[in-house]
Amino acid sequence: MAENNEHHDGHDGGHHVNYFAIYVALIVLFLISVAGPEIGERTGWRWLTLITAFGIAIVKARLVINNFMHLKWEKRIMKWLLTTSLILMALFVAGVSPDVLNHEGTNWDNTAAKEATARGLSDEVEPGEVITEVATAEAGTFSAEASFNTVCATCHGVAGDGTGPAGAALDPAPANFTDPAFWDERDRDRITTVIRDGAVAVGGSPLMAPWGPLYNAAQLEEMTDYVMSFRPGG
Amino acid sequence: MADTAVDVHRGEPHGHDDHHHGPQGLLKYLWSTDHKIIAMQYLFTGMAMAVIGGYMAYVFRMQLAFPGISVPGFGQVSPGEYNSLVTNHGSIMIFWVAMPVLIAAFGNYLIPLMIGADDMVFPRINRLSYQIFLLSALILLASFFVRGGGFGGAWTAYPPLSAVGSYNQTQIGATMWLIAVALEFVAFLLGGINFITTLMNSRAPGMKAYDIPLVCWMIVIASILFMLSVGPLIAGAVMLLFDQTLGTGFYDPARGGDPVLWQHLFWFFGHPEVYVVLLPAIGITIEVIATFARKKIFGYKLVLYTTVATGVLSFFVWAHHQFVAGIDPRMANVFTITTLLISVPIAELLFVIIATLYGGSIRLTTPMLWALAFVAEFLIGGVTGIYLGASGADIYFHDTYFVLAHFHYTFFPIAIVGTFCAFTYWFPKMFGKMMNDTLGKIHFWGTIIPFNFIFIPLFVLGIGGQHRRIYNYQHFPELAGPGMYRLREVATISLLIMLAFQLVFFYNCITSWMKGARAGRNPWKANTLEWTTESPPPHGNWPPDQMPNVYRGPYEYGHPDREEDYWPQHQPT
Amino acid sequence: MAHAKPLATLRSATGIPTGRLAVWWVLASEVVIFGGLLGSYLMHRIGHPEWAEAAAHTQTWIGALNTFVLLTSSFTAVLAHQAAEKGNGKEAAKLLGFTILGAITFLIVKSFEWANEISHGYTITANTFWSFYYTAAGLHALHVIAGAIIMGVVAVDAYRGRELHRVELIGIYWHFVDVVWIFLFPLLYIAK
Repeated sequence: MAENNEHHDGHDGGHHVNYFAIYVALIVLFLISVAGPEIGERTGWRWLTLITAFGIAIVKARLVINNFMHLKWEKRIMKWLLTTSLILMALFVAGVSPDVLNHEGTNWDNTAAKEATARGLSDEVEPGEVITEVATAEAGTFSAEASFNTVCATCHGVAGDGTGPAGAALDPAPANFTDPAFWDERDRDRITTVIRDGAVAVGGSPLMAPWGPLYNAAQLEEMTDYVMSFRPGG
Repeated sequence: MADTAVDVHRGEPHGHDDHHHGPQGLLKYLWSTDHKIIAMQYLFTGMAMAVIGGYMAYVFRMQLAFPGISVPGFGQVSPGEYNSLVTNHGSIMIFWVAMPVLIAAFGNYLIPLMIGADDMVFPRINRLSYQIFLLSALILLASFFVRGGGFGGAWTAYPPLSAVGSYNQTQIGATMWLIAVALEFVAFLLGGINFITTLMNSRAPGMKAYDIPLVCWMIVIASILFMLSVGPLIAGAVMLLFDQTLGTGFYDPARGGDPVLWQHLFWFFGHPEVYVVLLPAIGITIEVIATFARKKIFGYKLVLYTTVATGVLSFFVWAHHQFVAGIDPRMANVFTITTLLISVPIAELLFVIIATLYGGSIRLTTPMLWALAFVAEFLIGGVTGIYLGASGADIYFHDTYFVLAHFHYTFFPIAIVGTFCAFTYWFPKMFGKMMNDTLGKIHFWGTIIPFNFIFIPLFVLGIGGQHRRIYNYQHFPELAGPGMYRLREVATISLLIMLAFQLVFFYNCITSWMKGARAGRNPWKANTLEWTTESPPPHGNWPPDQMPNVYRGPYEYGHPDREEDYWPQHQPT
Repeated sequence: MAHAKPLATLRSATGIPTGRLAVWWVLASEVVIFGGLLGSYLMHRIGHPEWAEAAAHTQTWIGALNTFVLLTSSFTAVLAHQAAEKGNGKEAAKLLGFTILGAITFLIVKSFEWANEISHGYTITANTFWSFYYTAAGLHALHVIAGAIIMGVVAVDAYRGRELHRVELIGIYWHFVDVVWIFLFPLLYIAK
């Protein structure tokens, strides 16, 4: 294979491109692409908007790519490479749109999305208003109740009575914090220890796992407070 | 730059040969642009990360086999820690072990040597890519020490679990993980450009396309696959980062986003990614098999075109990871067909390897054992993938241990067997010494046999319905019985045995490097160009006036007209 | 700082100089990055007609001005290439300087545009349309910044008559940045 001087510019014999002419063409196309949608909006011809906006974009891109980037004179393999990239993007959109464009299922209704759409289309929306159905948890705020409901309630139940769905299979059963007998020999310190180091730390079952890494000292105190709040009689 | 005037034994990673340059020696190693040094940096970083990833596997497997145990060397494993361990084990093994070792380390080391070049065409970008890679590894490791610990949302990072800190409980770790992965992608994009342009342009005079050793083709095709598939995921990662840190709603359905979009973005990359790591491993296997069967590859062009076809097809199968995620069932049909189709070219590659062995004069050296093991183990992995590729069967198998055993039967041969194969084969070239073959074989059997005893039980557990990503199966009565428990035990104990045997490998490395027999230029009597220079090669690989020319293909073994059973590429006709 | 170039860089089995080959590969990977982002945006936008209300508030005339600025900067970039081909490093550097000026103008205009929009409450979290808007335009702007910096380095070298072949290479990258904007403009400003 031939070895080439690294300053070889790859053109086959001095192509003369009138860069200024290309530039003028680009500007003209650009003006049309801005004017077209303006006319389209006033006349209601949506197709005019789409053709001028995107069609012209494609033409402009081709002009830049072929003439400024000299792809027209480049070895074919580079054209293949860029075409492959584009085809892959088309493949991606084709493969994903059946899911992302579809906001419903065959057996269920997406009421939340429908409501959000309806609200967005109505005139009641202020610019900058966050349209949200679900209060998403804010980064950085800690709520002992939220943490308990996420982490502990699966076994101990939201009411702290040991009837969480995952608790049914466990032996021994998860603790029932609403049972006075539970509190007979348990004080605050023991609760904190068990939350942090697991029940094994006090001779109990490994089924109650250590959760220490989830909480800093202050949060651990809050979790203990929350568990103690289930105690009958306060 | 000072790295042009460097001592001959540049290939060695430790500084004590460098007496010409005094205290500047270490800095020169850190700042070198020599492709061999950079390869070593990737290799050792990757191996260090493998130790960390293996340690994580040890910890969580101990927890799984003996729930609630205080694991020696770690302590009791909390559910949150379990999630972090499995997440980071997977991420580390794929992004910080398999890719840097198979592609960056061996690609960097071998490509210039095998095509007869003195270095990569962009040495400084090469160095930059390693530095970015190292930074990504350090960020990932740092994430284990922040509040909440390392990211615990699985290596696939599906939102909303990965997007909302109060769901994954590892808010800071999640962002650090994402940034580490993004940086790793950038490092490999830079590296890939080096490999591709070097292979395309800088071959030795006379080396036509079909004279290039297949491992170089494989690494470059893998780099191309990576470059073309990672783009959408980079876009998706930016969106996830904004969801995590700014509170945007790209993946939040209540805000008009779509969590399934992330899945598509991830797997559009994620599936070609497995071929990105597979191809170099197959390439390494092919090199070793040709050398130790003393036989030409059964069909060079067949392998090349099949590999390209596999690469193309790999872009059409991604949603088989999402069969039960609620995707359009018609798409599921399409992806079932393409997934089953892709098993054909890969099976063909394995057949080519077997056909190469047939009638060969086989030498069962340690590298050859690893290469043969790759074929046998990967076969099991590939065949079990067919069950998963059928969307109907996948409804049962998805998210069970069957999937896990399948991908360990593919990834382990790729990342571990492939690495040991390459390492034991090219060790003489890289370090100038021969490894002890007996120790090598002990290490080999001590790795392969336990490996099977780890993962075959996991297939059975998967069929039995054991879900993935559960930290304690005693919480599930139907999975807590003695039979299942026993299988988990067997798997974990086998892992302990396998980990113990890795000490043999490290011992072998160190003693061989220190006291092993001197390797000549070509101890294996192989044909490719790297075996024509010194062991280890000097800076510049060959003296500038002795750069090799190429006169034939790389696999001319057992040529009938020759007395020798090999015919190096650089010898004039 | 002089760096000994490997002999490998002097070879060209494909006939394409190594530097240019590398730039084309960089562009291929950038196409899939922006393609993934814009493809995702397109699918969301088509599926959410109610975003039209939010999208109506993008400022088309400012976007148009920026389009004009980038097109012109592409023109000066290719003229710089022409000068470099003739070996005129100083002229190439001057034209690259104009291109960088275009980049800076683009960024200043965009800063005003975004400041204006943010002050009206159209922040990145206001609506997922705006999230995409800022992410896509922001990623593009990052590429403008990176391109301008590299272009500056190339211009300094070119002024001293060194590494003139890099003028073409940074030009190709710059044209790509322009092409991305050529598609961003209708997507975000016109076809709302």
